[in-house]
Amino acid sequence: MATEEKKPKKKFSRRKFLQRGAIVFGGTIVATIAAKGPIRRFIAQTAENTDTPILISSLEPTFWFEVMPDNTIQYKSTKLEMGQGVFTGLAMLAAEELEVSLEQIKVVHANTANGVEDSLGTGGSNSTLTLYKPIREVAATMREMLKAQAAKQWSVPVTAIKVENGVMTSGNHKATYYEISTSTKEWKAPETPALKPTSAFKYVGKNVKRVDLKPKVMGKPIFGIDQTLPDMLYAVILQSPYIGGTLKSLNTKEAAKISGVVQVIEDQDLVAVVAKNRYAAEMGLQKLEAVWDIPKKWQQAEFAALTTVGIGTEVRIQSEGSPESILEKSPNEVFKQEYRTPLATHAHMEPNGAVAQVEKDKATVFVGTQASTMFRGNIAKTIDLEAEQVNIETTFAGGSFGRRIDSKQAEKVARIAQIVGKPVHVFNTRQQEFQNAIYRPQTHHVLSAKIGKEGNIEAITHNQATPDQILGVLPANLGYTLLGADFVSAGHGASILYNIEHKSATIWQNKLPVQTGIWRSVGMFPNTFAIESFMNELAHKTGKDPLKMRLGLLSGNEQINQRYKKVLETLAEKSGWNTPKAAGIGRGVAIGNDRKSIAAAVIEVAVVDGKIQVKKVTQVIDAGFAINPEGIRQQVEGATMMGITAALYEGLEVKDGQITATNFHLYPVAMLSDTPEIEVIILEGHDEPYGVGEPPLAPVAPAIAAAVFDLTGKNLRSLPLKLS
Amino acid sequence: MEITFKINGKPAKPDVDPSMPLLWVVRDELNLKGTKFGCGAALCGACTLHIDGEAYRSCSIPVSFAEGKEVTTLEGLSESEDNLHPVQQAWMEENVPQCGYCQPGFMMAAAGLLAKNPNPTDEDIKTGISNICRCGTQPRILKAIKRAAQIQQTVTL
Repeated sequence: MATEEKKPKKKFSRRKFLQRGAIVFGGTIVATIAAKGPIRRFIAQTAENTDTPILISSLEPTFWFEVMPDNTIQYKSTKLEMGQGVFTGLAMLAAEELEVSLEQIKVVHANTANGVEDSLGTGGSNSTLTLYKPIREVAATMREMLKAQAAKQWSVPVTAIKVENGVMTSGNHKATYYEISTSTKEWKAPETPALKPTSAFKYVGKNVKRVDLKPKVMGKPIFGIDQTLPDMLYAVILQSPYIGGTLKSLNTKEAAKISGVVQVIEDQDLVAVVAKNRYAAEMGLQKLEAVWDIPKKWQQAEFAALTTVGIGTEVRIQSEGSPESILEKSPNEVFKQEYRTPLATHAHMEPNGAVAQVEKDKATVFVGTQASTMFRGNIAKTIDLEAEQVNIETTFAGGSFGRRIDSKQAEKVARIAQIVGKPVHVFNTRQQEFQNAIYRPQTHHVLSAKIGKEGNIEAITHNQATPDQILGVLPANLGYTLLGADFVSAGHGASILYNIEHKSATIWQNKLPVQTGIWRSVGMFPNTFAIESFMNELAHKTGKDPLKMRLGLLSGNEQINQRYKKVLETLAEKSGWNTPKAAGIGRGVAIGNDRKSIAAAVIEVAVVDGKIQVKKVTQVIDAGFAINPEGIRQQVEGATMMGITAALYEGLEVKDGQITATNFHLYPVAMLSDTPEIEVIILEGHDEPYGVGEPPLAPVAPAIAAAVFDLTGKNLRSLPLKLS
Repeated sequence: MEITFKINGKPAKPDVDPSMPLLWVVRDELNLKGTKFGCGAALCGACTLHIDGEAYRSCSIPVSFAEGKEVTTLEGLSESEDNLHPVQQAWMEENVPQCGYCQPGFMMAAAGLLAKNPNPTDEDIKTGISNICRCGTQPRILKAIKRAAQIQQTVTL
């Protein structure tokens, strides 16, 4: 059971693990999808009806867990810890079945050389829900393997062995997991052991602090940017500050003169300054005289116009009844509004980059990545090695929010390492983080509804124009060809969840001259802003209380309806929805259903010195079974703050062919001074855990917009919300 | 050129370009990775450290400025891992970090604030610290700084 032993993958388990609907990177294919055309319909239906693809390469316990000499257990996580707390939840689950204390579980990132891989990557708020059962089964199998070996040595039945904190006892016999683990090389795989019932959990369901708390409070070197290797050089890559810019000419003379600069690489599309230290590399970059070919000097208005309903590939993803014909029949009774969300980026605090070492027949890349398997394959191709010769050492990530699934930059880092023949440390400048980012797509939404005689909504349509969030990273435009539109990610949340007889949702797939990608909560963010804002306007127009109107439109006999009801009723009670507001306060509400998790918020705002200020946020979340309520609370708080940034500040603009933001002074985000009072209420609605990292983000912006309307009478329909 | 200063109580004599930002000297010449690079323009505070007890954003300060001075980074804030500075102790109690990348800068900014103002109000904290956190730990940072003030007072008494 020691590390050196390379065990063959697979073998002991033929059991069928989780069975559920296919989960695709960054989004779930929901049951309402009905894509146009036979191929698209086939894909949607196949995806819906297939079990979870087995994307974990091995279920053998020794690839997941390693017993260490101090009798702690190292768990090699295939999931990236980027702040979302996944290490903690998974450690709790492992501790339960391994019968050790939580402190005995030491979580590290799996590298791609040590056995377990997870092609699903990290994202879509699906880590805990997809691993909830497998990690317990693997941990229980590990425990039984150790027990069986002890039983054999002691000549006692397995049932006579007790385990506590990783120490096995039977009569006078006593041994630690470690002692037993080093006693043999022959391991037998036991039958699938029964899992602990929920009622027997020691940690799961309780408030637990993060397992990575201490190293983060002590400032330990855990991030990619902290990685050092002997003889390591530092490099900075030249990247076009213009949209679509390509290098016309380059003079490297002055850069090469900078003290500490070792080499200026010019290799096809790759230009990089390599130096003995980061400062020299940055100085060298500044001295490069680059002339750019700019295909078009984009201006904001024409750039924004690229994303407009009516332009691009049209894919209808929801269609119930005949909403269009109802709307056409009585145009005078149709209520119609348009909403927009801007281009934005992740702006996580640790810039993107990697540390790489490339030798003749092997390479190691240290990088915080949400998709290590994909990175390995793409990097191997770039530097002409086999995938097996490339080891991705995943590091902690200083934020990500969906950004770290694209391998292009890491591929360049590997090329630099190959060219210089030494380890290199390559991280973006902040200006590059803004101007050479992968962007949250801008969106345009048109919503129309027919209001009946009694104020009921007879029909509703939603048209969303959006660039994609995921198709860009799929190979060879496969996504565009087959799917037509990115209803998986960008269109996530575009369907109308309310019980309205006639309803439809349509996506207009646009393309931008910049790469767009996944951003925390994917399509739920723009779609919830648009749909929930529209619902609030409909409530006002029909003289209804917006929270009660939602309750009415979400009622029904299904379990989901009961969960909606409980969320909204709890929200009304805890937020004081039915109590009078203080003077100068506006109040608004919004709700979203994101991959089975329901999150709803009531938000109170004031206007201070002409600016919107969020005063109080009450969020109710039903994320199924709550493994770590403390972790959920952290995620809801974080998503709320990120939602405040997105509602009030965030957005990129284009001028003269450039993204204008070059640093945080031109990309303001929420500060300590923007922190409202936040109350988080966690409801439990099921016996399985659902996602938590993303769902609570979506309701924030529309609830703020509704609160601003409540206070000022102004309907703000574009983000970021500005009063003047 | 050799620049002489103290770092976390120990003498340092890095031989570097005097215009090199203190951040890179601390991180890459002295191998103390707790001080982070965020923006390179003194806008985000991830690189906050102390020079003679005052909080500075080290990405925008040349190393020559530290000549003859005492520099403290997060690694030198506490006496030991078992005897934490009130700020780090409060950070533990409030379970503050998420990704954790901006936290060293926030803790150093908080320690700097508390050194000057041992009992800050919410307003003092909100106006006194302008660091950036993208994960959204602000609600816990506010609580932790208040808690650190309490711990600090108990310790002083």
